[in-house]
Order: sequence, then structure tokens, then C-alpha cells
Amino acid sequence: MSNTNSLLTIKDLYASVEDKQIIKGLNLDIKPGEVHAIMGPNGAGKSTLGYVLSGRDGYSVDGGSVALAGQDLLEMETEDRARAGLFLAFQYPVEIPGVSNLEFLKASVDAQREARGEEAITSAEFLKEAKIACKQVDLPVSFLKRGVNEGFSGGEKKRNELMQMLLLKPKLCILDETDSGLDIDALQVVAEGVNSQRSADRSFIVVTHYQRLLDYIKPDFVHVLSDGKIVKSGDASLAHELEAQGYAWLQKAPAEDELEG
Amino acid sequence: MSEWLESAITRAQNLDDWLAPKRAHALELLAQTKWPTRKTEAWRYTPLRPVERTQAGVVSHDVDLSPEAITGLTAIELVFVNGKFDAAQSTKELPAGLLVSLGRNLDATQQAAALNAFSAIKPERHLFGLVNDALAEDVMIVSVAQGVEIAQPIRISSLLSQGAESHTRVQVSLADGARLTVIEDIQSQGDTLSTAFVEYDIAANAYLEHYRFALQTGSNVAIGGSHFNLSDKSKMHSSIVGFGSDLSRLDTDIIHGGEFADAKLNAIYLLDGKELFDLHATVEHAMPNGTTEENVRCIVADRARAVFNGRIHIHRDAQKTLAALNNRNLLMSDKAEINTKPELEIYADDVRCAHGATVAEIDKQALYYLQTRGVSRSKAQVMLNFGFINELIDLMPNAALAEWVRPIIRERFAQMEVK
Amino acid sequence: MTEQIDKALAREYEAGFVSDVESETFLPGLDEDVIRRISGMKNEPEWMLEWRLSAFREWLEMEEPDWAHVDYPKIDFQSISYYSAPKSMKDKPKSLDEVDPELLRTYEKLGIPLIEQQMLAGIAVDAVFDSVSVVTTFRDKLEEAGVIFCPISEAIQKYPELVKKYLGSVVPKKDNYFAALNCAVFTDGSFVYIPKGTRCPMELSTYFRINEQNTGQFERTLIIADEGSHVSYLEGCTAPQRDENQLHAAVVELVALDDAEIKYSTVQNWYPGDEDGKGGIFNFVTKRGICHTNAKISWTQVETGSSVTWKYPSCILKGDNSVGEFYSVALTRGRQQADTGTKMIHLGKNTRSTIISKGISAGKSNNSYRGLVRMNPGAKGARNFTQCDSLLIGDQCGAHTFPYIESRNPSAIIEHEATTSKVSDEQMFLCRQRGLDPEKAVSMIVNGFCKEVFKELPMEFAVEAGKLLEISLEGSVG
Repeated sequence: MSNTNSLLTIKDLYASVEDKQIIKGLNLDIKPGEVHAIMGPNGAGKSTLGYVLSGRDGYSVDGGSVALAGQDLLEMETEDRARAGLFLAFQYPVEIPGVSNLEFLKASVDAQREARGEEAITSAEFLKEAKIACKQVDLPVSFLKRGVNEGFSGGEKKRNELMQMLLLKPKLCILDETDSGLDIDALQVVAEGVNSQRSADRSFIVVTHYQRLLDYIKPDFVHVLSDGKIVKSGDASLAHELEAQGYAWLQKAPAEDELEG
Repeated sequence: MSEWLESAITRAQNLDDWLAPKRAHALELLAQTKWPTRKTEAWRYTPLRPVERTQAGVVSHDVDLSPEAITGLTAIELVFVNGKFDAAQSTKELPAGLLVSLGRNLDATQQAAALNAFSAIKPERHLFGLVNDALAEDVMIVSVAQGVEIAQPIRISSLLSQGAESHTRVQVSLADGARLTVIEDIQSQGDTLSTAFVEYDIAANAYLEHYRFALQTGSNVAIGGSHFNLSDKSKMHSSIVGFGSDLSRLDTDIIHGGEFADAKLNAIYLLDGKELFDLHATVEHAMPNGTTEENVRCIVADRARAVFNGRIHIHRDAQKTLAALNNRNLLMSDKAEINTKPELEIYADDVRCAHGATVAEIDKQALYYLQTRGVSRSKAQVMLNFGFINELIDLMPNAALAEWVRPIIRERFAQMEVK
Repeated sequence: MTEQIDKALAREYEAGFVSDVESETFLPGLDEDVIRRISGMKNEPEWMLEWRLSAFREWLEMEEPDWAHVDYPKIDFQSISYYSAPKSMKDKPKSLDEVDPELLRTYEKLGIPLIEQQMLAGIAVDAVFDSVSVVTTFRDKLEEAGVIFCPISEAIQKYPELVKKYLGSVVPKKDNYFAALNCAVFTDGSFVYIPKGTRCPMELSTYFRINEQNTGQFERTLIIADEGSHVSYLEGCTAPQRDENQLHAAVVELVALDDAEIKYSTVQNWYPGDEDGKGGIFNFVTKRGICHTNAKISWTQVETGSSVTWKYPSCILKGDNSVGEFYSVALTRGRQQADTGTKMIHLGKNTRSTIISKGISAGKSNNSYRGLVRMNPGAKGARNFTQCDSLLIGDQCGAHTFPYIESRNPSAIIEHEATTSKVSDEQMFLCRQRGLDPEKAVSMIVNGFCKEVFKELPMEFAVEAGKLLEISLEGSVG
């Protein structure tokens, strides 16, 4: 596995939650600009991967290494990983009553700019950008003044996550089942938002259970995650194969451990 | 100190039986207790004049009183008349695994255990609880053996005749995994004074279904308590229905003494005339992972007064507790009064607790809606009031009891409406 | 995580310095003689002295209340000095130029410049230092509008009829133990009168500062809003960091006549004592307002200081259609104890009250909401809504709610809700995943929790309140 010009390199990662091992020897290499889809049955460890990479409390790494743009990710605090360019779009975004979206986002953007040694953005300028981002994800501008996710519908929460991504301009975006609970129109809006952000220096990990989302966000690679490791990798066509077959074959097929790398 | 209390103390000093050490302790505490006034927080809204003026006293238990039959309900009957246990009217054949005995008839080992458990759950703060400690004579011990489910409910009836004073006391214990239903029922005629306390010790994985009915009205003084201790993974479900009297006071204490215990309490009270009903419901979450849900609903008509104090206390160690109290009150008249105080006292951070209390009058829109459909205003009012209360009756697990109490409540509403 | 949150909330008490001002201070002790001397220092008329003495005699018969959920050592009222004034105040300065520069520096250090040119336009300040009012700014401009804003000691001399009529009319002399004590020994405070139909042209503000050791501060505030008038009044307070407890027992009376409106905001930041509970102010305050027909009184308070707080700003809704509001944020940490809330007494028809209380408990502190909503028989169609929310930070603190609800009118509607929560792990994770450090995340979440109250504060105070909770974003965006 070469990682000289990789954005993210995961080597032989083992991780557990409450003493239960969920990730069991996972390898993944992502180069700038690539979109990787991670598919798999429920309980395969898809969401866990996002939490482990972003450093959530209670998720402990038992072995392996993760590098983001050459930096040792596992040594960093959650907020420092974010400042290094890692963004997680949550499957179930939490509400923060009373804290307006705008305050929250400006504080996040300021924190990240400060970490990069840049000056804080002016309120007026930020508001302008935020309004544009709202429009892009089809959220009314009034949502900027509402409490973070407070009383948002499922779809609104997902679009709010995407809006945050647009403003924070991360290097690596992990979309955790962003398609769940979305109708087809909302799905298209989210996909368009993501596609508009695809660029040579931004990579995506798209975690999904269904192939549907991948019709709109075309992945460069598709990986199948099962029982904590990647058991099969391929190009976009793999997703269709999975859609046709389901995940039942995973139980029968012998583990193809060394497919990766 | 009131004359009545002085006489009670004198009477207690003359009692000598197996409970002597407990009586002595209670008398000691009583000597240190001030007679409650408006400034005593637990009696803030409940003046004790009816106790101070009571004409009730010790009268013969040789009177013709029997508990009312409940259609569809076959219960193990425990009958007290004017404070004395009435063996003749009580059930003699008991199912296996159930012990029912007067404390004085227990063997030495059992008695020692019963003595130990006496007043272990009921808090000492309650003045009338102490009076009951000192004066209750026919103390009844009920226990269910490990893993035994008693299909028939136990009904404890306390019957009082005109002028009678009565102090009843029952200790109920459920061993691990046991299941039991207990109905507490007080019926009195005319001027009476009663204290009726029951303590429930619910061991691990056991389940208690509990009912307390205080459906007598009039010039009596009825003071009592139902006190529960929950062990690991035990459950209780309590339903309380009360009408008021000159002075009706009920204290419930639910103690989460074990983890993962679950308590539900639904209380209804309906007051009319110059009645007063005071419910003090206390929940002590002393251990983690407990859940409590309380619903208290009250309708007050005429010049009646309702008092509710709902306290939830989450101790430092009781992390992951979920506790909720909902208290809704309807005032039906200009002269009626409601005093309610839902309290939270919380010392653990990872808990979810909430309480809500509302006081309002009947929903005018709903009333109007029914009237436009041809229902008379008075009928409509009864219907709406009934609906408000019926939601809680529907939650009673025992269908026979629900069916029995529904028409009684309907009748009560009809009376309340007349004025 | 609790540790991080605690760190986020911990802050230096910035107002803890002692000013080097030469003072004239009574020896500790309390008897009728002391009261005569206080009255004498202020050149008070005989009726005022009599009033004080009768209150003192009542007080001697009263008992210290013990029902609040607070625990503090018995106060030795004979060890307190009841009067302390900067020497430079002996001949009262006639203008700012004559005020001791050290005093001006004290207030400047506290962020309250008293030099009018430097002040944010639109706020007149009365500065009370220990027992006396040091200076009241913008008096000329207020006089033009007919507004009286002066030390109460001056009002007793200049407007005796107003003072006689209203002093003690809302909080009677023997209302409670600490109020009675205040009546006997109060030394200064602010007096406000807004004439009929007048909208006070600027915000009025009083800053209280305790400086001298072993002194108590007993200030008295009386605000009268005549028919159809409007005033917004702000109050702030600080004290030096000392190892001994100091007593602050104030009385505030508000009178809102027909159609008048009074908005009273407090940012209370008395010295809270150290982490182990050593020192700090005992803040035992009686605040009450009366609303006549169509009048409105709105109390907003941000309570972050004092080692013990005992305070229930209340409204008597006497007139029909009158409105009472209470918005409160109380933050306790270390070993602080707060027992605070409100009383809404509904007497008139269609009276309305709203209570929003946000309690935040951290460290080893205890924070209680205690409130009374009473609907009297005449309160036809009255309404109350109460929301009490508690936020617990850490497992060594306590958060308590003691609401008393009393209704004697069937057409009155009362709704009360209380919840308790903590800063959740999920919220912290979301904030940190977006790049915020834990301190910032906590202060932002706490700020959000308090938002409904902060939005009631006047702009300048909202900023100050935000800073007090180490929350800086409030008002800067949106």
C-alpha cells in the first residue's frame, strides 16, 4: 500500500465500543479527490468507522494506524481532527436548544480558521456565505436563526449537515447514511450539494446501506464492510451487484481477507 | 399539642405487647414533635382543626358492618371493624405461599422479623404515622413466598361505625419474584377518625399491584399512608381513588432501594362540599436506573379544597433515573381551591426528570361542542369531567375494580354537578 | 468530560480587588443608638428616624427564616458595621470633578466609567460605594424630562411626600426578617420617579460596590412609575475578594401606577467565595413590585455571584389586566448556594404572568428555584405560565424546584413545567467534531440554554451577562 500522496491511510485498524470489538483489521487508502463508498449490512461497523475516525469518546482504538495528510489522526483530539479537515455528517444530528445555527457555524468556522492561523471572518461576510449555502441545500435562510437542529425534520437535519460541510470546506467528508430517511427529492438535493463540492483536493467516504444514493453520487470505489473489515472492493458496478444480490452472500462466502491493498 | 394527641399518648402508654419497643420509640419521637400549624410545611394547606375537635373515640367493634361486595372480584378478605381484626368476616383458606397472620400470633422467629420490619419503610417524619405506630394493636403481617404468584387480590377493608376511632396497620412483604395485588379500602359512617398505614417491602423481581380507595365522604378524619420499598428490578403499579371529607390526608412514599426498579402511580381525587383532600406523594430515587411515572388528577367543586405535594428526590447515586410527574387539576366553582406543589430535588446529573402541573377550568370549547350536538350543559360537564378522570381509570390493571369504581365516580360527578 | 466543563465555567473573580479609599466606618454593632447615628449622618427628618426605629423593634421580635434550601453559619449581627463611607464624601461633591479620583478609578476598573463624556450614550448611573451614593450622572438631562433619579437619602430630604407615601408600601416593614433589618439600617440606594405619561429618555442604572471589610450593605431602592410612564432600570453589583462573609440585605420596591411599565434588570456578581466556600457575600434581598391597572413589571436577573442567594423578585398584580414577568438565570458553582425565584400574586382580572427560570448547577453547588403563583378569588381570567429548567454539570451539585401553585378562581389558568438535563455527550461531540474546543462548546451550549432570559436583557447587560458565563457570541451574530 503506497501512501505517499494519500489523503487518508487506514492500516490494520482495530476498534471497540464498550469492550466489544467492532472494527477488526480494516485497511483503506484514499487519495485526494476520490469518492469511496462503504456499503454493508447493519451492524458491520459502518457508523463506528466514522466515530472512530473523528475521535468520539467511548470509541477506543485497539490497534493499527490512521493518517490524515501524513498526520497521525489517532493522536489528535476530536476538535483538532476537525481543524485538520475531517468532517462527519451525522446520521442522527443532535439538537442544541437555544444555540442558533449561525452562531454555531460561525464559531466552528472561526475556530478552524484560527487553527490555520487565519483571521476570523467578519459577521457580514459570513452571513453572506451562509445564505448562499442555505440556498444550495434548499433550506430557508430563516433556519440560520433557529436552534441547531431544534425541531428540524429528518430531511432538514440532513440538509443542515450538508450546509455545515459547505461552509467548513473540509478535506475529507464522511457522510454517515446521509440518505437514510430522505425522500427522492431531498436525496437529489443532498447529492447535488455533495457533487458540487467534489474537487481534486477533497475526498469523500460515503457510508450507505443502499445503492440508491450512489446513482446520484458516483463513487470511484465501492467497498463492502462486513464484521469490521473490508471484504470486497471494486468500482461503481459493485454497488449494483450488491443491490441485486443483497448482503446474504456474505454469510456464505469465505472471508476474502486480503482483498485490500 | 392537641387534647386528642395527649389522650392518644396516654392510651399508648398503657399498651404492652410484642410491639413495645416500637411503641416506646414512637412515643419518644412524638414527645419531640410539635403539633403542626400553617407554618409546618407538610401541613401548610391542611389545618388540623377537625382532629382537634374530633368527637371520635374508642368504641365497641361489635357492630354490624360488612365490606361491600365487588362484582367480578373474588378477593382474600381481611376485615377490620373499628380498628379490630374481624376474623369471622375474613378469609380463612389461604393459597399456598401466602402467610396472613396477626403479629401477636406469629412464632418467635417470625415475630422478631416482623418487629424488625415494622416502620422500616414508613418515614418517621409523619406525626400521624407515629400515632399509628403507638396505637395500632391488631397489626397484620402478610407475606408472599419466593416466586409465588397469588392470583386473588388481598382486600384490606377498614370499616368504622359512627363515633369510632381506628388505627390499623399492615406489613406486606413480597419475596424475590413474588406477585401480589393488594386493595386498601376504608369505609366509614358519620364522625370517625382513622389512621391506616400499610408498608410494602417488594423484593427483587417482585411485582405489586396496589389500589387504595377512600370513597367515604362526610365529617370523618381519615389519615393514612401507603409506603413502598422497591428492590432490584421490582415493579409496582398503584392506583388511588379518593373523595374528600372534613380532613383526608394520604401520604405515599415510594423508595427505589434497588436498581432498575419501576414505579407507576395514578391518583384521582374528586372533591365536593367543604371537603378537603391532601395527597403527599414522595419518591426517593436512592439507587441508579430507576423509573417513576406519576399521574395525579383532581377535580374540585363547591367549597372543597385540594392539596397535592409531589416530591421527587434523586439521590447522588441514582444516575440514569427517569422520573416524571404530571399533575392536572380542574376547578369547578368560585369557592373551590387548589394548592399544588410539585417538587424536584436532584443531586445526580445523568438523569431525566420532569414535572408539569396545570390548573384550569373545564374546556369551554369542548363544552360548547357537546352542547351544539344537543347535550345539556350539565350532562356535557359530567361527560368531560368523566373523560378527564376515565383516562386514569383505564390504566387500572384489574378490570373488575375499574368496572366497579366507574359508576361510583359517575354518581359522584352527578352529585357534584347539582350544586 | 465533566472536568472540561468545570474548567470552562471556572473563572477568576475579576471584581475582587480592594480600593484604597479612606473611609469613615462605624464600629461593629447594632442597637437603637447606631440607627440614630445613621439617621443623623444623613440629616434625616424625625419621621424617618421613627420609621427606622419602629422597624428595628419589629425586627428584634422576628426570627431568621430557615425554610430556604441553603445552609450557612448563623450571622452575628453585632459583628457587622452598619455604616461606611469614603471620607472624601463628607462634603458631598457637587459635580464629577469633585469626586475622589480613586473612586472613579474603582468604577472604571469595574467597566463602569462615570465620566459622562465617556459613557455609552443613554445610560444614567447612580454609583453606590459601601453605604453612600458617590455620584449620579446625567441628572440635568433627566431633570429636563421631569425624571427624578437621585440617591434615596437625597429624596428623603427633597421629596418627602413621595417617599412617605410609597416607602414600605410594597414591602411592609415587617415583611420578613431581612427586610425589617433593612428598614432599620438602610444607608443609601436609588430613588426614581417617572412623571405621568413620560418615557424615561435613557436607561437608569445603579452600581453597588462593597469595599470596606466587615461592613454590611443595606441599600434601599424605590422606583415609582406614574400613570402611563415607562422606565428601564439596570442594577449591577460587585465586592472585593475577602475571606469573611459579608451581608447584603437590600430592599427594592417598584410601584407601577395605571398603564405604567417598569423593566428591572439585575446582573448580580457579588463575590461568590472561593472554591472551598470560604468568604463571599450573603445576598438576602427582598424585591417586590405592585402593578396597578394595565401596568407591567418585568424582572430580569442574571445571578452568578454571592455565596448564598436568597431572593424572590415578585409582582403583586393588583390592577386588572396587569402583567408580571420574571426571567432568571442563576449559575452556581464551587460551594455557592442559591435559593431564588418569584412570587406572582394575581388579584385583578385578566392579569398575566410569565416565569422563565434557568438554573445551572456545577461544582459542589446547590441551586433552587422557589416560586409561588397565587390566583386569588378576584383573578378572573388570569393566566400564568411557568417554565423552570435546570442544567446539571457534574455529579456533585444539586438542582431543585419548589413551585407553590395556589388557585382560588376557576377561570384562572396556570401552567407549570419543569425539566432537568445535562450537557449531553452527543452535543459535546457534535461541537468538537466541528472544531470547537470543549470550553467553547460548553459555554455555547449553556448560553443556548439561557437564551430565553438573555434576550430580555438590555443590550449592554446581555453582553455583560454573556461574559459572566464566559459566553461571548451572544448578540454578535444574527
